[in-house]
Amino acid sequence: MSTSNIVTRQFERIPERTVLVLLENMIWPILAVISLLILATVPRVFTNTMALRLMLFAAAPLGLVVLAESICLLSGHFDLSVGAIAGFSAVFTAMVLAEWNLVSNPVLGVAIVLAVGSAIGATNGIMIAKLGMNPFLQTLAFLIIFGGGKLALTTRPISDLPEGYVAPGGNEYVAIGILLASFACMAVVFRYTAFGQAVYAVGSDEEAARAVGIRTDRTIIAVYTLSGFFCALAGWLLTGYTGIVSPDIADDMVFSAFAAAIIGGISLFGGRGKLLGALGGVLLLSLVETALNVSGFDPTLIEVVNGVVLLFAILLYNTKESIRERVLSAGVSS
Amino acid sequence: MSSDAPTVSDDAPTAGDAGPKIAAENVRKVFGRIVALDDVSLSVRENEIFAVVGDNGAGKSTLMNLLCGVHRPTQGSLFLDGRPVAFDGPDEARAAGIETVYQDLALMDDLDVATNIFMGNFPRKGVGPFSVVDWEETYERAATIVDTHLERDIDPRAEVAYHSGGERQLIAIARALAFDPDVVILDEPTSALSVDATELVQETVRTLRRNGKTIIIVSHSLDEIFGLADRIGVLYRGSMAAVTNTADVSTDELRSLMVSGERS
Repeated sequence: MSTSNIVTRQFERIPERTVLVLLENMIWPILAVISLLILATVPRVFTNTMALRLMLFAAAPLGLVVLAESICLLSGHFDLSVGAIAGFSAVFTAMVLAEWNLVSNPVLGVAIVLAVGSAIGATNGIMIAKLGMNPFLQTLAFLIIFGGGKLALTTRPISDLPEGYVAPGGNEYVAIGILLASFACMAVVFRYTAFGQAVYAVGSDEEAARAVGIRTDRTIIAVYTLSGFFCALAGWLLTGYTGIVSPDIADDMVFSAFAAAIIGGISLFGGRGKLLGALGGVLLLSLVETALNVSGFDPTLIEVVNGVVLLFAILLYNTKESIRERVLSAGVSS
Repeated sequence: MSSDAPTVSDDAPTAGDAGPKIAAENVRKVFGRIVALDDVSLSVRENEIFAVVGDNGAGKSTLMNLLCGVHRPTQGSLFLDGRPVAFDGPDEARAAGIETVYQDLALMDDLDVATNIFMGNFPRKGVGPFSVVDWEETYERAATIVDTHLERDIDPRAEVAYHSGGERQLIAIARALAFDPDVVILDEPTSALSVDATELVQETVRTLRRNGKTIIIVSHSLDEIFGLADRIGVLYRGSMAAVTNTADVSTDELRSLMVSGERS
């Protein structure tokens, strides 16, 4: 008997709706259990407030990329180019500010980084919604183009950026505030606006959404534009976090972004999940990484652990979907 | 078309005739070289259940799409409450009080019943650009539609995926009712449904009529419309082969009209 069979039988006594709600919010009990495990094995993570603050500070850019990926996933699409957009936006703007010296105003710098990310995201959306490009291939192409584009722009770190440009991202309170405000803002938009509900509708069934009058093309373009915007915001915060912009900035963030979103309860196929759950996924990933760092774990193996976490996320997702299918089937046939 | 086939001349509408709720007069629809409908007339009385039947390719879908604004007739006229109307899209037909429930239902399984019912048409609270979806009102109104108009026990907060085929059809009908239409067009409402689910949907259609709606059912299934429709219009190769009271026709005669345009 498979694990999901056993779990389903255990769930049979619980009202179906409760089971579904539990499945959708699985991240919070998982986060609680992992926190207790870390508290028992590496208590310094929780007793050292500095470590916790640094954890949240470092998690801010990743969190914004997770938000970007989650928005795409909710719409039934996905974006492999989130890290490349974050990195390219940051590198391009750094070149404008410190190498080409086209602009020195830090506010204009922030506007440029956000505009670049949004424009790339919008292009992704237009290619997918209007030209019918497959989201996987389209965003893979942009991953390669803009990942390579960073190196084409510079092969060495860029420093001497305007203080006003890097200072906000270098301030832990500002960075964490931007992360939390972004999630809160998007959570409200997705819950309380027609646009947010349209994204869920497109993610659940694009054809059905179109049939009931949703302008699916516009919705998809808006989704990718928003995603690009938050990637760029992540690129800007990363710039502030390190103080310089290296050519490998934001590399490999896409895998962690997927892992956090999936663990956070965002459906791989769209239409289901809550953005605050994805924030829980970010906290989980950051907590595990902090615990490994504090416990003296070999840093070269951190990527391996990230891969294991991604695998765990996919296994968890499959189990969750299997249970959900059984609960729904039981409900329909009863 | 057979010369002895029943015709619609007894109640075909004329401009200014306030009798029928919705009517088509001498409608022709051409797609390129293909004549999908030719000189089709029908009139549906207020609070009537009218079935349009026909074999595949008879023109049922084209007629339905004309009535609900997807297409405009090449020739001929449509009337609503006796007044000539010309719809420039489904939105205009909806605004005039005509709603259509398509065969594929266009439901979003991952979303709950109320969200499906009001998708694209949510009750809102607040002012102008600062208005947001009013979820309390959304669930209350969904419950009212399901309880009062459909007289069914469907939880507005449950996911659509949680519901059976018959209930999904009812949810799609409930979405049409959210626009408070006078005329509801149902496209193959019980195809691929079990016997129980078919009975559930048929009972709901009767409930709709009790609640004052005019209903047009488009179908190729005679079992679906016998015992439900007051009158039946039979399309054969783009022409209206017959319009008859359901009580005045047998299944064999209808089948013959559908496949040959003539009564057996």
